[in-house]
Amino acid sequence: MPIKPKVGFYNLSGCSGCLLTIINCEDAILDIFNGGEVVSFLMAQSGNIEKDLDIAFLDGSVTTDEQEEFLKELRQRTKKVVCLGICSSYGGVQAMENEKGTWPKRFKKVYGAKPFVVVKPFESRPVDAFIPVDYYLPGCPIDADQFLYNYSRLLRGLPVDAPKTPVCLECKWHEHECLLLKNIMCLGSVTAAGCKARCPSVKMPCVGCFGPADEGNLTSEFNLLKEKKYTFAEIERKLRLFGGIKFIKNFKAVWKKVTK
Amino acid sequence: MNEIRIKSLARVEGHGNITVQFAKNKVKEVNLNIPEGPRLFETLVIGKTPEEVVNIVPRICAICSVSHRYSAIRALERALEMKETKATNMLRTLMHYGEMIESHALHAFVLALPDFVGYPSAIAMVDKFAPQVLKALKLKKFGNYIMEVVTARWTHGENPTVGGFGSAPTRQQLLDIKKQAEALIPDAEELVELVRNLHYPTSMEDGMIFMCLKPPTEKYGFIGDTVLISTGEEHPIEKYKELTNERVVGHSTAKRCRYNDKPFVVGALARMNLLGERLHGKSADCFKRCYSLSWIRNPLYGNLAQAIELLFCLEQTLKLVDELLKREKTLEAETSIQKPSIKTGKNVGAVEAPRGTLYHYYELSRGMVTNANMVIPTTQNLDAMENHIRIAAQNLISNIGEGPSQDKRKDLELTLEMIVRSYDPCISCSVHVVELGK
Repeated sequence: MPIKPKVGFYNLSGCSGCLLTIINCEDAILDIFNGGEVVSFLMAQSGNIEKDLDIAFLDGSVTTDEQEEFLKELRQRTKKVVCLGICSSYGGVQAMENEKGTWPKRFKKVYGAKPFVVVKPFESRPVDAFIPVDYYLPGCPIDADQFLYNYSRLLRGLPVDAPKTPVCLECKWHEHECLLLKNIMCLGSVTAAGCKARCPSVKMPCVGCFGPADEGNLTSEFNLLKEKKYTFAEIERKLRLFGGIKFIKNFKAVWKKVTK
Repeated sequence: MNEIRIKSLARVEGHGNITVQFAKNKVKEVNLNIPEGPRLFETLVIGKTPEEVVNIVPRICAICSVSHRYSAIRALERALEMKETKATNMLRTLMHYGEMIESHALHAFVLALPDFVGYPSAIAMVDKFAPQVLKALKLKKFGNYIMEVVTARWTHGENPTVGGFGSAPTRQQLLDIKKQAEALIPDAEELVELVRNLHYPTSMEDGMIFMCLKPPTEKYGFIGDTVLISTGEEHPIEKYKELTNERVVGHSTAKRCRYNDKPFVVGALARMNLLGERLHGKSADCFKRCYSLSWIRNPLYGNLAQAIELLFCLEQTLKLVDELLKREKTLEAETSIQKPSIKTGKNVGAVEAPRGTLYHYYELSRGMVTNANMVIPTTQNLDAMENHIRIAAQNLISNIGEGPSQDKRKDLELTLEMIVRSYDPCISCSVHVVELGK
């Protein structure tokens, strides 16, 4: 019998929705645990052992010194590190207010001035702010089919294959009515595909929960939304919800170009 | 001073450690320590629209994501003086049943059951219990299917929002739900029997105070605007702060709750103790067969209470789908999104999440949230968990002595873990949700 790749599933700061999505693959769960040797999956089993890994899957963003130390130790003993979901990939919803300089004040508002005895906390950051990451599988949460397809690829030593196209493409394939045409702010044109255009399928606008699409056209989306009288503040707020710091980096420049 | 330290509790959502310090066979200190990283959700919803709040708050916790969404919707609609239509209420109830079925199947059969039969996971249980594990997974899958149909995804589906739904399920989908629910009822009954016949340790037993929402009708249910307490009291949910008395403790990023300076318990066991007499049909038969006075002293019966609630949800789903099918032609229109007529207001809303009462509170000014508060079931249960850990540790510690009896120590550790798991804690949820100063 061939040696199975050693696999670990870990949760940092997040809702555990990406790990839950894996546990939710009821028809495939036994294969997930048989295909690889699952040596650590705290949410699903006890008796976990921390040792050298072929693949580590990470759910959640980094918000404490304890997690930072864990990541550095994990990287040293792991061949491939895979980010699951937008928290580990981009910082997650908890990064929507990042780079405004408000974190210390917000932290104090929530916890008061009392010193924190358990861990040293900081503003939510993606995993690649601390260690090199090999692959990203975005989503809030990840899509189960996309995970299963890529899990079997990874077990065979193949790279992750996630769509670079935006949700709009999937939406057109499903022939859903375009919500932008109805003046509803839909982020489908700038958001990574992979969700099967779930929200437009129920006439709800895309909220951007798969994070930015590599091939998304931000300039064109901004032009369209500007025509429809949306303000920069409204657009920024929506893009920040799930885009994490990846969107924030360039959208101000794009908006300037559009409004020039 | 000797110490028992269980680091990184397995088969729970999130991160928790248990520490018990003892000297000369006397327990000195018990800490359920929560090192979960802070995400500051209560600051994230400030300056957002009601719709955006509904996008954000389910991300507090995936396992209760529908309950967070539903509780936020109830609070926001109460604040903006909106009234849900009958059909919208029915669809919301259906999605809530979906979450209960999924979450209870996951907790009672996949996360908690392995302890009772001596396995590290449900997957490992396949070895000896394959038919039961597969039935549990089928039930769990059905819960997810309901959520997929009604909310548009297993987790964080965006179809339900303030004022209604983007779209209603089709006739075919409703018929499919009905067919599956019918087929699964015998499986659920079988699993109730399995959980009933387990051996329940008793070393942690102690009287408990229970709290849950009082359903608006005479039936069993998971929403309400009044809180029922096992002391016989009833209070409106507007008094949620006095009822829960949140406070900060040094060893945890999660806050703690007490009522009249006593720990209290929320969740399936609380609901069954307070509302069990309201059940009908097969779930009522199961309740009568299973209930005993141990249910008011032993938190491990929470697993059995969840199994019976799961059966209740399947029976109710059948009835609810029949009602929805009667409205099939008008369902889409009746559940379409209503807009509020006012933009300023404040109020609290509550639902029973699978693991207990979940309160959301919002203040809005000119269409934007200016203040928010959430009180989470696991936060409410933490003090009771520590109390039961303390009692079990005290009762079992003399078995260990000061010597290196590893087997007895392992037994004690397992009992402590089982106590925490029986509360079905959702640790991500329990962290960092407190009210903001203005």
